[in-house]
Amino acid sequence: MKIVGILMALVGWLLPVMSLPYTQSVAARFVLAVVGLIISLVGILGVLNQAHLKHAIWKS
Amino acid sequence: MKLWGQNKISWLLTVTCLLVLCGLGALAQTQPTPPPAAAAPPPPSTDSPLDLKPAAAPSSDDLAKGDPGGTKTGTANDVIVSDTKKGMTLADVINQAGQNRIAINFTWTLVTGFLVMFMQAGFAIVETGLCRAKNANHTMMMNFMVYGFGLFAFWVCGFAIQMGGGAPYTTLGGASSLNAEHVITFLGKPWGLFGTHGFFLSGITYDVGVMVLFLFQMVFMDTALTIVTGSCAERWKYVAFAVSSVFMGAITYPLFANWAWGGGWLSQLGANFNLGHGYCDFAGSGVVHGVGGITALALSMIIGPRLGKYTREGKPNAIPGHDIVIVLTGCFILAFGWFGFNPGSTLGASGNGALRIGSIAVNTMLAGCTGSFGAILYMWIRYGKPDASMSGNGLLAGLVAITAPSGFVSTVGSAIIGIIAGVLVCVSVEFVDRVLKVDDPVGAISVHGTNGLWGVLSVGLFADGTSNYGGSWNGVSGSVRGLFYGDASQLVAQLIGIGTLVGGIFTLSYGAGWIMDVIIGQRASAADELEGLDIPEMGALCYPEFVLKPEGLRVPSEVAAD
Repeated sequence: MKIVGILMALVGWLLPVMSLPYTQSVAARFVLAVVGLIISLVGILGVLNQAHLKHAIWKS
Repeated sequence: MKLWGQNKISWLLTVTCLLVLCGLGALAQTQPTPPPAAAAPPPPSTDSPLDLKPAAAPSSDDLAKGDPGGTKTGTANDVIVSDTKKGMTLADVINQAGQNRIAINFTWTLVTGFLVMFMQAGFAIVETGLCRAKNANHTMMMNFMVYGFGLFAFWVCGFAIQMGGGAPYTTLGGASSLNAEHVITFLGKPWGLFGTHGFFLSGITYDVGVMVLFLFQMVFMDTALTIVTGSCAERWKYVAFAVSSVFMGAITYPLFANWAWGGGWLSQLGANFNLGHGYCDFAGSGVVHGVGGITALALSMIIGPRLGKYTREGKPNAIPGHDIVIVLTGCFILAFGWFGFNPGSTLGASGNGALRIGSIAVNTMLAGCTGSFGAILYMWIRYGKPDASMSGNGLLAGLVAITAPSGFVSTVGSAIIGIIAGVLVCVSVEFVDRVLKVDDPVGAISVHGTNGLWGVLSVGLFADGTSNYGGSWNGVSGSVRGLFYGDASQLVAQLIGIGTLVGGIFTLSYGAGWIMDVIIGQRASAADELEGLDIPEMGALCYPEFVLKPEGLRVPSEVAAD
């Protein structure tokens, strides 16, 4: 799951960056940037962090 | 002949009349313009000696009498003359004026850099005060040595990666040797990735302007590094800290700083993709604090929480720091140093709109003030007491948030940005502590990470379009405007910068941290952690005359009292 979380963080970053040449619309770029940010945050704070918490030191 | 003789007089009369008429006509044409004044003397050649009598420079006898009023010091006598035989020329005066401008900018940039360097002391005592006494030596030593580790890595390669392709830096005389950016063409556009001039500050980068730029950028980088020592305090192995700091000073920080400040692809989003003025980060909410805060999050997740921070059910325990006095003193030192951080980021005080330093300093002051207001009010309302450490964090949060927009916003904008930051840091600390269950002893992730991102975003909202730093920013003419002042595309550029920090820099930091964890191990042993890291890691207690008690045990005096 840690790898999935990291991959989500990367995809969320690359999505708005790679789409820059394909649209000139500010609204479309805004939406893509926000969606990308949400994907990255979910990947880090949700998926990756949960994977760390599964074996947290205070559970042992 | 007779005919000529008879008509001679009439011919002469006719010619005379014509000449008179022509003269009158010419006179009529020249009447509207005033008679020409005495011809102005030609402008002196830049090479010819100047008449210095009007300057009335004091004689050596006058100067020998002293100058208590300061009226005789700093006159024509003090202009450097290139050829004493010839005397002072216009060229001498012009060169002196140019050098004076650069000298003002050098002095400004160096002195503000010195202020930023002093922030290391502020960070050191804030973090140490917020940790327990048994880890004070270890925490202090991390903050002390991060300066050396970071400086060394930045001199070796960090500076070259960051600024090696960003010239010209006009306020510092150009620093033109920093002109080699590694650029790839991708999706039909140039993408600057990293600089390649300036390794070891040698070769053509052995240059006075480059040195000034290095000093200023180096202390910024060190600020980012010291953020991580706070979030990982009280359980980080010293050797892991050392390696991590060198990597961050050599690679992580310079890479993002190049993209934002060194002519890299983020700064060119405006020129290449019509997104406002590209990613704008005046003094580093994203570059410095965002990178530091995001790296702190990545390493804190890898290292895990301190023993005793969470119960078996996952409920957080408060672990108070040992000295609130040095915490708040450190906050004041940091607020003082921030007057170097933000106003100094003009890289000069003369020309190119640099007189906006007054506005930048006031914005910095205001946001810090409203940041502490926001935090103290939030804590007072929510918990019934004005919490001291969170008030300090509120001040820092306001300062972090105003760092990126300080050069672009009005005082009202800065006050709003600051108060939002003050509330945001409290909410974020609770979220990180209770929901994410990521242990951050000093609140560094919230102060620097969360509010660093908020500062970057606020440029895209509050930039008011009044700043003018030489007529353009990031190669796009005109002034930076945010969404509230008519440019939505600037907000998109800022969001892409935030996405790069969250997605790209986090991944890099996490990957490097994970590799270090596998090779050398990031976390101190449980026994060392319970004892406190001062003796196991550093070999000496910070407070040897204090009686330190292990958690869960009581000192003899307490037993006797029972």
